[in-house]
Amino acid sequence: MAPAAAQLPLPELSHELTRLATPIEAPDFQLIDMDGEQYSLESYRGKVVILNFWATWCPPCRREIPSMEALHQAFKDEAFAILAINEWETEDHVFAFMGQLPVDPSFPILFDLDSAVAQSFGVKGLPTTLLLDTQGRVVYRAVGGRDFNHPEVKKIIRDLLPDSSTTSRGVGDRNDKSK
Amino acid sequence: MGKRATQTGVPVRPQYRNAIHLKYIYFIFSLSLSSAVFAGDMQQHRDPATGLITWKVQHPGLSLQLIQLLPDYITAVYSARGLPPALVKTMASHCVFGTIIKNESGEQLSYRVADWRYVTADGKAHPIKTKTEWVKEWQDQGVSFRWSILPDEQTFEPGDWSQGFTTVPLPPDSSLNLIYTWRYQGENHKGTLEGLRCAPAQAPQS
Repeated sequence: MAPAAAQLPLPELSHELTRLATPIEAPDFQLIDMDGEQYSLESYRGKVVILNFWATWCPPCRREIPSMEALHQAFKDEAFAILAINEWETEDHVFAFMGQLPVDPSFPILFDLDSAVAQSFGVKGLPTTLLLDTQGRVVYRAVGGRDFNHPEVKKIIRDLLPDSSTTSRGVGDRNDKSK
Repeated sequence: MGKRATQTGVPVRPQYRNAIHLKYIYFIFSLSLSSAVFAGDMQQHRDPATGLITWKVQHPGLSLQLIQLLPDYITAVYSARGLPPALVKTMASHCVFGTIIKNESGEQLSYRVADWRYVTADGKAHPIKTKTEWVKEWQDQGVSFRWSILPDEQTFEPGDWSQGFTTVPLPPDSSLNLIYTWRYQGENHKGTLEGLRCAPAQAPQS
């Protein structure tokens, strides 16, 4: 590929998430992962969920994946999930890209082939990350790349978790390959 | 390029001079109320490996970065997304800058590409084609891809930032200025990036 561009250092990845003044009910969706399994957002009710809208050609999207994996590992035994929603790309695109990453993401990668889900959430640019509470409401938002493996992000998630810290099997686990 | 256009002088009868003088003062005063013009802190960086240039301007609360992108790179990006060859050629025929805009303040900040202008060497200001306009053009050709271009408008919370393409219909190596605006602390702000240059047709010899 031809040399892309000159580059000043890219913006540092901050960890700020913006709390929405009024939580917004998240629209349900059904999307397929790389194995062809269907995921429904509704099935994650009862869990804290991060929805991360991304694409392989988006540099800040690529930069934040390792911190997302670290966050996923930190909360893997809790009522928490990360769903990485890829925009407009095919499994072949994403599969080839995954091999170039320094980490092997263990959270679901879902394919929003026509970007309808992104539109339903009002996503304007990539990456955009939404944090949903256990009632399925969007309570935090971040536009642009973030460092998710930060104590303040973990605290926000911890404060949203259900009182019980044990995994709530049977609630939101349908088709959840992360467990 | 880089010099602002100035108004041509017109002979005026003495009895009208005061009225026009007052009107002129009022006009300038009202401009200053509606749109504060800031001279930002600008950096220019030439990549020693590629010879391509990045410009970055810093204002209180806002940073804006423009990166030269080669036509070959644009061709590769849109070809990889499966766009038809004619559309890829259209994109690559434009002068494209990678654009990064960031809210570095502790408050809300917004921008609207429709309010931005690029100024060509003849001093004329032109609107910048928005993402909505590009997406409509792609859709009219049967393509549902809706990413890559800098979003039309966004309201950023602290820490938010966006990266995308800004396009102008100029040939390689063209000179231009960019007038950009943003809204912050209830006021409209404007800045000018002077001395921009479109990427060359081919990578410069390093």
